Amino acid sequence: MKSKSTYVVVALVLTVLYVGDEQRWFRQMGASAQGPAPYLECEKLAARADPGARACYQRLSTSRDPWAKAEGLWGLGDGNGASLAFAEAVAANPKDPARHVRWAYLFLSTDQNNDAKEDMEAALKINPDYAPAMLGLAKVLSESYDGKAMEWAEKAAKADAKLYQAHELMAYMHLEDNNPEKAVASAKEALQINPEALQALAILAAMDQMDDKPGTEWLDRIFKANPKYGEAYETMGHFFVQNRRYDEGIALLRKAIELKPNLWSARAELGIQLMRFGKEAEAHQQLESVFNDGPKPSRVSVRNSLKLLDTLVKFQTFETATTVLKFDKKEAALLEPYYKAELDRAIATYEKKYKHKIQGPIQVEAYPDHADFEVRTLGIPGVGGILGVTFGHYVAMDSPNGRPPGEFHWAATLWHELSHVYVLDMTQSRTPRWFTEGVAVYEETAIAPDWGDRMTPREVAAIRDKKLLPIAELDRGYIHPSYPEQVVVSYYQGGRVITYIVEKWGYDAVLGMIEGFKNRKDTATVIKDVLKVTPEEFDAQFFPWLEAQTKKTVDGFERWTKLLKDANEAGKAKDWDKVIALGTEALDLYPDFVETGSAYTMLIKAYTEKADKPNMIQTLEAYAAHGGREPAPLKQLADMQTEAGNKKAAAAALEKLNLIFLKDEAAHQKLGSLHMELGNPQGAAREFGAALASGTIDLAGTHYNLALAYRATKQNEKALEHVYQSLEAAPSFKPGLKLLLELTGQ
Amino acid sequence: MRKLLLLAAVAAISAQATSFYLTVAGLGGEPEYDQRFTGWASDLNKALAGEAGAKVELLSGKDATKANIQAKLSAIAAQAKADDTLMVLFIGHGSYDDIDYKLNIPGQDISASELNDALNKIAARQTVVLTTSGSGGAIKKLQKDKRVIISATKSGSERNATVFARFWVEAFRDGSADTDKNQTLTALEAYKYAKLKTKDYFDTQKRLATEHPLLEDTGKGEGEADPSAGNGQGLLAGRFPVLHLGSASAIASTPAKQALLKRKDDLETSIDELKYRKAATDQPTYNKQMQGLLLELAKVQASLDQ
Repeated sequence: MKSKSTYVVVALVLTVLYVGDEQRWFRQMGASAQGPAPYLECEKLAARADPGARACYQRLSTSRDPWAKAEGLWGLGDGNGASLAFAEAVAANPKDPARHVRWAYLFLSTDQNNDAKEDMEAALKINPDYAPAMLGLAKVLSESYDGKAMEWAEKAAKADAKLYQAHELMAYMHLEDNNPEKAVASAKEALQINPEALQALAILAAMDQMDDKPGTEWLDRIFKANPKYGEAYETMGHFFVQNRRYDEGIALLRKAIELKPNLWSARAELGIQLMRFGKEAEAHQQLESVFNDGPKPSRVSVRNSLKLLDTLVKFQTFETATTVLKFDKKEAALLEPYYKAELDRAIATYEKKYKHKIQGPIQVEAYPDHADFEVRTLGIPGVGGILGVTFGHYVAMDSPNGRPPGEFHWAATLWHELSHVYVLDMTQSRTPRWFTEGVAVYEETAIAPDWGDRMTPREVAAIRDKKLLPIAELDRGYIHPSYPEQVVVSYYQGGRVITYIVEKWGYDAVLGMIEGFKNRKDTATVIKDVLKVTPEEFDAQFFPWLEAQTKKTVDGFERWTKLLKDANEAGKAKDWDKVIALGTEALDLYPDFVETGSAYTMLIKAYTEKADKPNMIQTLEAYAAHGGREPAPLKQLADMQTEAGNKKAAAAALEKLNLIFLKDEAAHQKLGSLHMELGNPQGAAREFGAALASGTIDLAGTHYNLALAYRATKQNEKALEHVYQSLEAAPSFKPGLKLLLELTGQ
Repeated sequence: MRKLLLLAAVAAISAQATSFYLTVAGLGGEPEYDQRFTGWASDLNKALAGEAGAKVELLSGKDATKANIQAKLSAIAAQAKADDTLMVLFIGHGSYDDIDYKLNIPGQDISASELNDALNKIAARQTVVLTTSGSGGAIKKLQKDKRVIISATKSGSERNATVFARFWVEAFRDGSADTDKNQTLTALEAYKYAKLKTKDYFDTQKRLATEHPLLEDTGKGEGEADPSAGNGQGLLAGRFPVLHLGSASAIASTPAKQALLKRKDDLETSIDELKYRKAATDQPTYNKQMQGLLLELAKVQASLDQ
């Protein structure tokens, strides 16, 4: 997955993806069994998929006791009615924390996590020692992968020694953290308290099956206790999906609903996973079933996914033997040539580099509406942050038009995701997150030094404050971050780790590690086997290497901050010489800072004011070389190079822009003209075609230019086609009329 | 359509016709806006510098007062004849109080009604371009037969600062705005250019559009975002030249080529008619006829150019 480094919320998003948001077992669980007595009876029946459960809930739903009524309506799938009844129940006894906890679980079941959190906290306010509320809060926090979830689960376990669910939740979170030892320990603690702790057994079964063992021991115990416990397969499916073993995850989800057809959370998750893999008809069927027959209101992710499936009809598909490209029809003509070229180039590069060929086509989808992309990948919009996601051979990403220009480098994102396709395929998805992300980040700059994400102040602070993680624990930074920026910092660290490995041991070491992970070895073993050092020895070498590389920036960070501030003030006072002096020093300390308000921007302004063109060009070039992505400076560079007669450099600057932002008609026109002048009519044809696809107002001029480009490539029929189109738009266009005569030999 | 365009070209080259331009850059309220408004106005004047026989006036900053605007318009009224053209461009902030539109200028603001009074005294054909916030609210007050009104906003209630002016001015500097390549930028072409660029601006910035331009040139409509034969708007604007980009019409004064010019005009008319019939014509037939006409037109043009 490729994230946008400047988004702090990325931590939440990145982790959500790998867990899926539909199948967390505790959404359906009574959890703390604090309900009114009749409810507990109904819950037992429901857990066993006993047909009598419905009648039981129906009886409850007509109770005069509002709490019992709430539980009954909830059990019947009437979430709105249940919520109203819970409101009455709480009003009837506002000092009862259990009512708040149950109401919170209802909110949790419909994605209203903030409401759930408020009620769990309300329960704790009534009774700060109330263990079910501690557990509930842990569950709510774990939904958003908040590092405090574990603390609350531990508190709950301490507050109530018999609360086995707290240990189950800890086991769940440890396994999400890719920490199997701790997961086993927690699961076994739960089983010591309750030998029929079914989720603990499911977690152990999941671990066995991920290790290619049958897990029979645990499954037998589960189904002996409850033959209809589909939740076991749902939990197992969750961990397979989290570990990107999607086919197996989907198969387990199918088993879950075979066993318990009304396990709506599993059915919804199955629908979403099927949608991700292009099985849209079946996905629609499953999601519609949840929407029509499941609890009301349906989960947000279900509703959104159904809407997205309707949107996907508007997509246009381009297929070859090795690739499938899907774009929104309104931008397909613009994007397809560029994506196709980069995808083909990436496949050719990676096949050689990884010595591996992907069987079957690789599919790439680009979404102009970021909310659609989020629904495609996460099920819910509005959380921001991600740019691209890989599911097996499927890549979904933001379209270059899906974000403001300069926010991301679409080609780097594509290469990043393609790297995942290869690494996951080669390891059969048995790779820790840090490794596949690290390799993908490394590949971005391996193909072009100016592509990948730069070291931002966030990473500078993490290095300075010694917040980077040991290699053996790096996965934790991606899954359960302990501070908001840790996910993106971990991306950076992963990329640097792979860079270090390549520099010291060569790229074959990366291939050796891929082989090691494929053979189900863990990070520590792979490090030892391939690099011949222990993880601790690796850390002892890697951190000094990184610190040496970043020392100037890290040590000078405070000075750099002050320089920027002072340069900004000097700019306001129009003291351009001072801006140049301060800005130059700032650049020297931290050349990788290319974000808004960078020293580059200040220097460009100062040199502009002083009409110092050579230094302007030099600064703009440095900005581009250090990964600057703002279109305006790149276009300014192209214009200045054109003015200076350096057409090749001008074209290079605009080619760079093409990999960042494509819907810039004027830039395409300029690049097309430059290519024609540089004797590259193929490139010119592509650019004038892009200008047309961008919605140029100058149809006549653009078709005419296309005609010239095609004539130069000896494609006279195409040239004629475009000159006619040019003249249809502007019949009195003299150059067009002249070209028509030339092309028709008259 | 073609005949009308030709008439416009002939009118434009008439030795008697004069093109008047009055640009008013109103108050910015903040230095950034002041600088932006006067910058755009100044850019337009530079683009108009080569316009033969044009009389270009600019009021900006402290000079953009109501009295000065009215005085300039009175002076134009004293000179302008019916064959002349006048383009009045207002850049800045505007407001609308559900009764009348006002342009924010130093001193007392000038209202759309007051502008209308001043403009009604001018005989020349007119294009009034209001690029300010709230300018859609001025259409009703200003609309008149043979007057093109262009507003940056669709109503008086679109109150955010606008960018339409920037792209209207850009149309005068970007040759691609002359979409029919006849070397004459018309008010309609400039409007379409600025409208498209404004839309692209908001799309690209991923911002909700806070301005939706309109054009009204029938004297009685509400204004249309997309003027066309279908809605009856744009006919007048399509033959209202706002800038001449070359010397396209020099040939017209050569009597020896009148027959060829007549043939060229006929062919262009046939092309226009065919284009209007496009929806009702099957594609192969349309292509064949269009290509035949264009080829013949190319030959005629080649003869004219000899």
